[in-house]
Amino acid sequence: MLLDKSILELAAGLRQDEFTSVDLVNECYDNIAKYNDKINAFITILPRETAIKQAQSVKLTSPLSGLPFVIKDCFNTSGITTTAASHVLKNYIAPYDATVYKKLLTAGAILIGKMNMDAWGHGGSSENTDFGPVKNPWDTTRVAGGSSGGPAAAISARMAVFAIGEDTGGSIRNPAAWCNITGLKVTYGRVSRYGSIAYASSFDTVGPMAKTAQDCAIVLETIAGVDPYDATSSPISVPSYSTLLNKKVSDLTIGIPDEFFQAGLDPEVKTAVLKVAEDLKNAGAKIKNLSMPLFDYGLAIYYLIGPSETSSNLARYDGIRYGQGREFFTDETTRRILIGTYALSAGYYDAYYKKAQQVRTLFIEEYKKALTKCSVLLQPITPTQPPKIGELMSDPLQNFLADIYTTSQNPIGVPSLAFPCGFTKTGLPIGAQLVGPMFSEDLLLNIGYQYQQLTDNHLKSPLSKGDLEGLKPKP
Amino acid sequence: MTITPIIGLEVHVELKTKSKMFCGCNASHFHVEPNTHTCPVCLGLPGALPVPNQVACEWCIKLGLALGCTINQDSFFERKNYFYPDLAKGYQITQLQKPFAVNGKLDVDGRLIRINRVHLEEDTGKSQHVGGETLLDFNRSGVPLVEIVSEPDLSSPEEAKKFLIKIQQIVRYLDISDADIEKGSMRCEPTVNLKIDNVFTPLVEIKNVASLTGVLNAIQFEIDRQTKQFQEDGITKATGEKTTRGWDADKSVTFLQREKEGSADYRYFPEPDIPPIVFTKDQIEAIRATIPELPNAKIVKYKALSLSDYDANLLAENLAFSAIFEKILGGSTNPDFAKFITNLLIGPLKTIEITIDKINPLYFQNLFDKKSDLSSSVIKQLILESYQTGTDPLVLAQKQNLFQVSDTGALQDLAKKVLAANPQAVADYKKNPQSIGFLIGQLMKASGGSANPQVVREILEKLLK
Repeated sequence: MLLDKSILELAAGLRQDEFTSVDLVNECYDNIAKYNDKINAFITILPRETAIKQAQSVKLTSPLSGLPFVIKDCFNTSGITTTAASHVLKNYIAPYDATVYKKLLTAGAILIGKMNMDAWGHGGSSENTDFGPVKNPWDTTRVAGGSSGGPAAAISARMAVFAIGEDTGGSIRNPAAWCNITGLKVTYGRVSRYGSIAYASSFDTVGPMAKTAQDCAIVLETIAGVDPYDATSSPISVPSYSTLLNKKVSDLTIGIPDEFFQAGLDPEVKTAVLKVAEDLKNAGAKIKNLSMPLFDYGLAIYYLIGPSETSSNLARYDGIRYGQGREFFTDETTRRILIGTYALSAGYYDAYYKKAQQVRTLFIEEYKKALTKCSVLLQPITPTQPPKIGELMSDPLQNFLADIYTTSQNPIGVPSLAFPCGFTKTGLPIGAQLVGPMFSEDLLLNIGYQYQQLTDNHLKSPLSKGDLEGLKPKP
Repeated sequence: MTITPIIGLEVHVELKTKSKMFCGCNASHFHVEPNTHTCPVCLGLPGALPVPNQVACEWCIKLGLALGCTINQDSFFERKNYFYPDLAKGYQITQLQKPFAVNGKLDVDGRLIRINRVHLEEDTGKSQHVGGETLLDFNRSGVPLVEIVSEPDLSSPEEAKKFLIKIQQIVRYLDISDADIEKGSMRCEPTVNLKIDNVFTPLVEIKNVASLTGVLNAIQFEIDRQTKQFQEDGITKATGEKTTRGWDADKSVTFLQREKEGSADYRYFPEPDIPPIVFTKDQIEAIRATIPELPNAKIVKYKALSLSDYDANLLAENLAFSAIFEKILGGSTNPDFAKFITNLLIGPLKTIEITIDKINPLYFQNLFDKKSDLSSSVIKQLILESYQTGTDPLVLAQKQNLFQVSDTGALQDLAKKVLAANPQAVADYKKNPQSIGFLIGQLMKASGGSANPQVVREILEKLLK
């Protein structure tokens, strides 16, 4: 299957006329036709003819030229419905393009779909959506993770070459882990947020989701950089990440923060994540156990500041301009709006929002300190294996706890690479994350790439395992 | 019973930057076709982000400096959350904890009125209520707005009006806003209560005041109303409570809008989409260097030239006018010359539109030197003609033969002829010396109007003795 190939292999194949962009587009649409009914990854599938037309006329100007991709439905795409998976924006057609989308179009990539997600990014399972839950391609009775569940499931099921997700508290990494793909939560400010529908403005990051670290590096090169339309985007220059992957890991120290491996972490997940340390150690890296005692406060900071910002960000959907009123917000979204409104209210502001910001400052110091003792931190992504559909939705607190390891980076702003690191006995994917200092994407991708040279977990797809439930091709 | 009004003003000034506060849209909105100066940012569309206008930030600091404020080098924007149809994002980007400028003061006729803050924010869209429907125009949404908040130091409607005029003058001197109250580019919300002996009446904020006279009348109305109200019910101010009343300019009354509202909960928090704004000391000094001499300083200077309070205020009213005055004055410290120029500027030259480039100070100096040879009406006429033609007024006077003839020899000959031609008038004079006016008129006429009337009278009186 062409879609098992890496971006570099595909780019080379296109240039050597081994296959065409049209072949790639057709393969994507064939897989969508076969599998999307089972996993519900898409909110909008763009017409095949449109994509084929683009593929026929594509000029190969960049490694992404002629490659079909999908993006989370929180990105504005002019002329195409953009819903953020909420009926509040049902049928909303944006009049402008998100910067990330514009950059990919300029690079010659071909958009084929807008992806399902937790509405407004509110969730870690892609069940909080008005378009039906996304199902895990490895077991369709289970969730794909979230909030970027649609993009992750689509890459996993080989429906596109790469995807663009958005990570506010794990939204790229969590579904990457549960769907067995690689995803990068970038440093805050590395990629423009312009045109990405906001969940929590000071946490939101836009990043690549693909099969490998190398693929993520190539996509990141294209989408990163300062944007005059985003005052929080960083002017720091963009390295050519894909050329910086070959350094050996032998000079590096991998930090293992104890607090991330305590009770509550599924033993199988724990074993698989710690195996990454072992593999890197075998490749020459040093391992250092360390402590991040403030870890416990991460989730609290996240669930005070995130909802506070979202309560304000979602105020514009007041029923006057977007057709649908606030009664179309789901229970989960309403819950977050209420928590945030409460945390910002007079008399509570100091105790909640302000206190959370103060602890956030301490937390930033905690990460800085930890990252002086090591090159990168190795952490689990999810405390559990992918839950059954409905499990998390029936228990809001459990739903929040699913984010416990991934909400700790966004308040800091540091980047984190999520990648496949093994499978449970029952064949469900497990992911690990490497967290580095601000703007250390080059280092994270380098380690990820080196790790993926040593292992083959990332090459496994649910399609190659014909025995996996639910993905038998339609007759 | 001693009644002291306590008045504070909240003044909004729309900056006349080319683009809006957080996007590149054209910031003009007066008489512009609705919703044509808009984009995803000022419409608050999903995913759009604000990027602050550097010029607007600098202008806010400039105004802060002009009002003697301390500048917060680390400033940031905040969100003020409330729902209103013309508020596109459901929040207004403004400043609360760290405004650009704080703790200033403004001299109003010798009293220092404290300025609490000068901060920057964005304007909202406009709602128009037409036949039971509300129409929304977002051209004004995101236009940069500076808010100046005074301490409640003003004690009369007149003083409040003067404060407002001073602010208006300063803003126009700085060339950062039209500050036109009628067009809405300057707005004012007075907060009024009274100190009656040792107690205070409830705070009232007055909205919808749309003219300088309105400010005066609304505050006066409120003082009278609160006095009467207190005499009736004796209710005093409760902490943290404020009543909002609207000003009805047609009926000249304030009317109740919202009663006894605790300070509304706007859930302010730092705007996460905009990083903190840092200005270095050097940058602030560079902004300070662009501030021209301000009206109050000019008034002091003009009064030192022995100009009247009234004239000094009039000349300092706007920067262009005072610049013209100072250009003509040059370095002169001669009070007579200053008065001479002032009379021409606020007299004949006020009737036409003048520009500083077309003003030639030398012409004024020439006229001033020859003023005893020209009648005052001729001077007024000459200065206008000189301005319009660009010609030296003395050349014009020469050409038109307007110099007063003071050559007594020539006049005497002429006078003898006039007396000889008017025996009846001479006879009349003998009986009634008041009738000399007729003979003066005749001699003036004979001289072609160029004779100095005083000299004419003297000659005639001498000859008639």
